[in-house]
Amino acid sequence: MSLSPSSDSRSIRAARHARAALSRASRRAVVAAAVALGASFLMGNNAFAAPAVGQQAPDFVAVDTSGAKHKLSDFAGKFVVLEWTNPGCPFVRKHYNSGNMPATQKSATAQGVVWLSVNSTERAASDYLQPAALDAWMKSQKASPTAVLMDEDGVIGQAYGARTTPHIFIIDPKGMLVYAGGIDSIASARPDDIKSATNYVNQALGEAFGGKPISAASTRPYGCSVKYKT
Amino acid sequence: MILSRFQFLATFLVATAAACMPAAAQLASRPGAAVTTPHVRAELVAHAPNGVSPGAPVWVGLQITHQPEWHTYWKNAGDSGLPTELNWTLPAGVAAGEIAWPVPKKIPIGNLANYGYEGTVLLPVPLEVSSNFKPPLALGTGASGLDVRLKATWLVCRKECIPEEGEFTLALPLQGSTALHKTEFDAAQAAQPQPLDKPGTVEVSGNNLQVRLDGLPAAVQGKALGFFPETPELIRTAAVSGKDWTQSWQGGTWTATLPLADQRSASPTTLPLVVTLAEADRQPGQPVAWRTEAPVSGTWPTAAPRAEVSPALQAALAANAANAAAAAPPADLPAQPAGTFIVALLGAVLGGLLLNLMPCVFPILAIKVLGFARQAGNRSAHRTAGLAYTGGVMLSFLALGGAMLALRAAGAQLGWGFQLQSPAVVAALAALFTLIGLNLVGLFEFGRAAPLSVCSAQAKHPIANDFLSGVLAVVIASPCTAPFMGVSLGFAIGLPAAQALLLFAALGLGLALPYLVAGFVPAIARLLPKPGPWMNTLRRLLAFPMFATVAWLVWVLGQQSGIDGAGTLLALLVCMAAIVWALTLRGRTRLVIATVLVAFTAVLTAAIGRNVLQTVEPARLASGAGQRWQPWSAERVAELTGAGQPVFIDFTAAWCVTCQYNKKATLADAEVLADFDSKKVAMLRADWTRRDPAITAALTSLGRSGVPLYVLQAPGKAPVVLTEILGKDEVRAALSAL
Repeated sequence: MSLSPSSDSRSIRAARHARAALSRASRRAVVAAAVALGASFLMGNNAFAAPAVGQQAPDFVAVDTSGAKHKLSDFAGKFVVLEWTNPGCPFVRKHYNSGNMPATQKSATAQGVVWLSVNSTERAASDYLQPAALDAWMKSQKASPTAVLMDEDGVIGQAYGARTTPHIFIIDPKGMLVYAGGIDSIASARPDDIKSATNYVNQALGEAFGGKPISAASTRPYGCSVKYKT
Repeated sequence: MILSRFQFLATFLVATAAACMPAAAQLASRPGAAVTTPHVRAELVAHAPNGVSPGAPVWVGLQITHQPEWHTYWKNAGDSGLPTELNWTLPAGVAAGEIAWPVPKKIPIGNLANYGYEGTVLLPVPLEVSSNFKPPLALGTGASGLDVRLKATWLVCRKECIPEEGEFTLALPLQGSTALHKTEFDAAQAAQPQPLDKPGTVEVSGNNLQVRLDGLPAAVQGKALGFFPETPELIRTAAVSGKDWTQSWQGGTWTATLPLADQRSASPTTLPLVVTLAEADRQPGQPVAWRTEAPVSGTWPTAAPRAEVSPALQAALAANAANAAAAAPPADLPAQPAGTFIVALLGAVLGGLLLNLMPCVFPILAIKVLGFARQAGNRSAHRTAGLAYTGGVMLSFLALGGAMLALRAAGAQLGWGFQLQSPAVVAALAALFTLIGLNLVGLFEFGRAAPLSVCSAQAKHPIANDFLSGVLAVVIASPCTAPFMGVSLGFAIGLPAAQALLLFAALGLGLALPYLVAGFVPAIARLLPKPGPWMNTLRRLLAFPMFATVAWLVWVLGQQSGIDGAGTLLALLVCMAAIVWALTLRGRTRLVIATVLVAFTAVLTAAIGRNVLQTVEPARLASGAGQRWQPWSAERVAELTGAGQPVFIDFTAAWCVTCQYNKKATLADAEVLADFDSKKVAMLRADWTRRDPAITAALTSLGRSGVPLYVLQAPGKAPVVLTEILGKDEVRAALSAL
């Protein structure tokens, strides 16, 4: 009773596949762990107090939806926008479905601003999206962030004190936090309100590029709570 | 008759239709009193135990029954969420009050916390019925009611959030009691915070709030309270009592220390707040919460400790400002730097002198001065005559200057302050100088200010006669004075009154100077050239500096309004010249050509005129590493000096000639630039071509009101303010002192 050659080779192939998948998974896990560790080291003292506007923005390392690593301090010399996002949140959908968020991203990145969308939704949350799914959703919305960062452990979100989706932070070329708050001035889930609201991100970037102080540097963010890992 | 009968019929039909409407509407699916969603059941309820009439208590409210684990929000939603919004539509004479928010509960979500309601909550709103309220008479039934319509939006969350809304209607009978929901309204009333007799105090201390409340009932004393600020974005909402925030009782005084939010965006002077008993401590029939509006003392920590000026710089700036305030007389117009003004005065004297050589003035001068020379006898009489003539000329000019100031005062509100930053003023000046130039080349003549008959008047007293002849010289010379007046006007219009008058006096002095000098030194008279064709040549020659000024003004406008603005301005100037020429024609030709030209200009102005007044954004400099000059901002200066780098700031503007000269000469000098590089000085340029309040503020804080201004600022040292006409050696010396 020996196995036929064909079934033998098939099982060998299956075993090899399984091993390869395992090693891919473990490699990803190791990278993720390293990144999380690196992020927590980088954040060090800032772990408990979120930065206020005018303070140094905590540095971090994160992997984006395609697995590439990004370090905030690598963008020194540029304005960086951090946008907390979660496609499951109706307020996020308000600003994506209406085209407001993609347009804001586009106008910012066209001026050389680095736009990082951060998803701090924990894996256990009902609206957690796998990186690939999140990426696909972003593409379907014609979004144009520089990168979409995965922060399932909430390390970056906690470091910045991100509370809502959306919640926006703007970091200046020197690494200083210059804006923290909402995407715009009318806290509602109604897309109709977008046209009459002040887009705080456009306003802040416009003022920053014009060499002017940011008139609304700290505003109330509105939206869903960030679904942090508890 | 037929018409009126027809009207009657129409009215009847409309009335019948209206009477049928309510019944029909009720049959159709229209908003009712309740809306049910997967997460809540929301119902519009009312409580009017004494019916609806002025003065009777009438309450309406939205009752929300949440699915387990779901919640909606209080007026301050906390870290996320949105308060429920109620929008009422009520008949005339009925007004809705504010929501009487029941006591919320703190709903922690991980490291965040919100304030809101779970289970069933009623958000009651009092209705005020005034005597103006005319209830509609419902035909058919005879009953009448108050129609209440509500559009409500609420955000309902568990971990996920769903924005929901609903439309509700309710008809309240006017007579008879509406008390179906008495229990709920009573419960909502019991859940209202009671006002505290004493407002209490809130003190900002470091990054904490110290709250102190007196007058809470004795039954509450010693109990732990919940704290709910009504102002959002103020305290760290998720702070846990006993761990992140503390409270204690001293007799009847409750005190608490609460941490401020890291990203606080509110700094109120009065804090409305609610304190509550814990659920376990609440007694039926007893108040559960208290509300007060406590005054806030102490200073809020600066949410943004950014763009801080170093203490040394602050001191230097204060000293600069004090010096400037002591030196300069208070003037609501920006004072020109002293150097520029002296140059302007000399220019005016020179302009006055040149005026003597104009064809309309020179013959008078020649006659008067040569008269002196011929009767060489009485030297002292000559001197007196010269002084009297000078007085007459100068006073006339001062009168003209005064008239200009009066005109300017009328236009002062229009803001003469930064006249060259306004494209309109630049364009107007360009037009003025074009006119002056055209006058000088002889395209047209200004009329004389007084008829000749007046000019030949003579006074009996010789000194008065000489004084009068000075005045008359100005009047007779007025056709030629106009261009020179125009130049002075253009400059003086931006000056404080005293300086502007001095400028006119200088112009007068220049005009009178040859005669004055001839009065003292008769030999001068013989040196004067004879009147002749050279005078017209000179006059035409002088048109070119005017046109050069126009060229410069067009360039300034180009900086402000772009190439379109500059082009449009040139086109309009051509039109203006053509109109001026047309007006010099005679008879019908003049009428026809001038009309055509004016019409053409009007059309052109309507079509493209606004190009002149538009302001285009400056092309933004890519802040690449290779760029020597960075755009200035106070934040950038603070950043750079904070990082230990010295900075050099060039406050400049396209319309500032000195600035352009310095930019092209000293600031482009290879040795100077090498010195900047060797000291690693960051170079910032503050461009004041357009209005920029930030730059204006920076100039003011340095004790200046205009450009150019050059500041070298090293970390920890007082800023060095360099001279307006920037010398190479001066800059290098300042740099080597770093």
